[in-house]
Amino acid sequence: MRSTSFFQRFLSRPEFGPFVLLVGEIVVFTTRSPAFLSAGNISNLLAFTPELGMITLGMTLLMISGEFDLSVGSVFGFAPIVMWTFYNTHIASLEVGFMIAMLLAALVGFTNGWLVTLLKIPSFLVTLGMLLVVRGTALYITDGFPQRTWMASSALMKVIVGEFSVGALRIYASLLWFILFTVILGYVLTQSKAGNWIQASGGNAEAARARGVHVTRTKISLFILTALISAYSGVTSSIRVSAANPNSGTGYELEVIAMVVIGGTALNGGRGTIIGTVIGVLILRIMRNGIVLVGVPGLAYNIFIGSIILGMMALHSWLERRHHAGT
Amino acid sequence: MTNELVRMEHINKYFGRVQALNDVTLSVCHNEIVGLLGDNGAGKSTLIKVLSGALRADSGDIYMHGAKVDIRNTTDAIAQGIETIYQDSALVTQLSIARNLFLGREPVKGLRLLDRLDQDAMNEAARKLLKQVGIKKEIPPTTPISALSGGERQAVAIARAMHFESDLIILDEPTNNLGVEETQSVLHFVRNARDSGHSCIFIAHNIYHVFQVVDRIIVLRRGKKVADDIDPKQTTIEAVEHIITGMTLTPS
Repeated sequence: MRSTSFFQRFLSRPEFGPFVLLVGEIVVFTTRSPAFLSAGNISNLLAFTPELGMITLGMTLLMISGEFDLSVGSVFGFAPIVMWTFYNTHIASLEVGFMIAMLLAALVGFTNGWLVTLLKIPSFLVTLGMLLVVRGTALYITDGFPQRTWMASSALMKVIVGEFSVGALRIYASLLWFILFTVILGYVLTQSKAGNWIQASGGNAEAARARGVHVTRTKISLFILTALISAYSGVTSSIRVSAANPNSGTGYELEVIAMVVIGGTALNGGRGTIIGTVIGVLILRIMRNGIVLVGVPGLAYNIFIGSIILGMMALHSWLERRHHAGT
Repeated sequence: MTNELVRMEHINKYFGRVQALNDVTLSVCHNEIVGLLGDNGAGKSTLIKVLSGALRADSGDIYMHGAKVDIRNTTDAIAQGIETIYQDSALVTQLSIARNLFLGREPVKGLRLLDRLDQDAMNEAARKLLKQVGIKKEIPPTTPISALSGGERQAVAIARAMHFESDLIILDEPTNNLGVEETQSVLHFVRNARDSGHSCIFIAHNIYHVFQVVDRIIVLRRGKKVADDIDPKQTTIEAVEHIITGMTLTPS
């Protein structure tokens, strides 16, 4: 615990286990498949990863504060539907549609946070209800049909997910946004006063409240942040793939939560890091990509993901117990 | 009572039909450690919860520095300079010592928008405070609370109360679940707190601990105050036990 050696400190970091797994994964896939490190494959990896990654960043802070959000996948599908519906029906420009979509997402987040904190309903139940309400709304608005997106061209689309190349790599602007969000939220969590409040709210809400920490306000803000970032991610995705499908994002909530917990964030709050989450995102995305390349049937993917979750949870709990053994 | 710090007057509290506090009046002076004793269910905890804002009395007044105050919640109590330290210390075990010390009142540096914690200042102040409360071991202020022993945790809680200039520190069973050596260090912290100008209300089941540290003993029995100015130097533990249990006291 009070070791001075750099190596020992590195070993005791909660991200160490996931980091080893990530490196191991990359080594195995690189040696087993020449295509893995090709520019084309890396470009593919970098296309979708930032979109799911953004959601995990918001979810990480929310989970550290002791709550979680199952409605992120629905908001991911709902926000682009709102934006494109306004645009396609000529009610509003794309920019205004975008703002309306973000506002509605903020409202969804606020409602989640309000129900959880003031009515003291567990976030599992609140956000499960919200998952159905938001998904249902997206399906109802569109009659279940995808929205057209290929008619549009706007500077906003370039800013959100414009395409450019670096050498042989094809990069989307969404990667830069993801990196920016990672840096900002990492800073908020570890360096800011708000970050201290987030960790305290999840660690011991009663003690934090007794010290004058605005636990309720902190949690509601994080629900709003998570919904906003999920909506932004959904808009990004819809522009990149040129489709706004009312069903897109289904099941994302569980994949996002899996990524966050694999990265070392506690499901019941108080503990976690942004860098751990980024490692968790990479582990699952590279796994999905790599096992197909090395010839494992794609349908077996979930077996691997499930095993990784179970293995990582066992590791975290073992580390936790060893950590407390000496006290 | 010349230099009175806090005064609770005619406090009554009912839980349904049960009267937990019956017209209790008490006061604590500056630089005084008062021991609050009583059997289980005597009303000690209820009285303390009223003073620390965790419960509201049904009737009665509280005065700080002679002025009437309204304590509706724990935040109000802290703002009035009343700090309560419970058995579990009310610390966030995942956070570091420094982050716990300043929780809710974190120093911020640089641009306001950046909301940046002044971690150097926090760690520096924490290091000094730990020394001040009498922790001899060199513990880095970045150590998480979960790595500390029970006595060290109490010390951190006491350090926090001292740093934010709480006038009155309430210690609710601070020595429960602690070993002999740790108990001694907690008692030592309490004496230090008085010497640096704080008043304390000390609640403990263990009368021996109370006798070692307090200036005056107040006894509650079934919600009523039955003794107010027992001087631990002028009496014996047996005599106080008699008062607590309600057996007639025969002067020795």
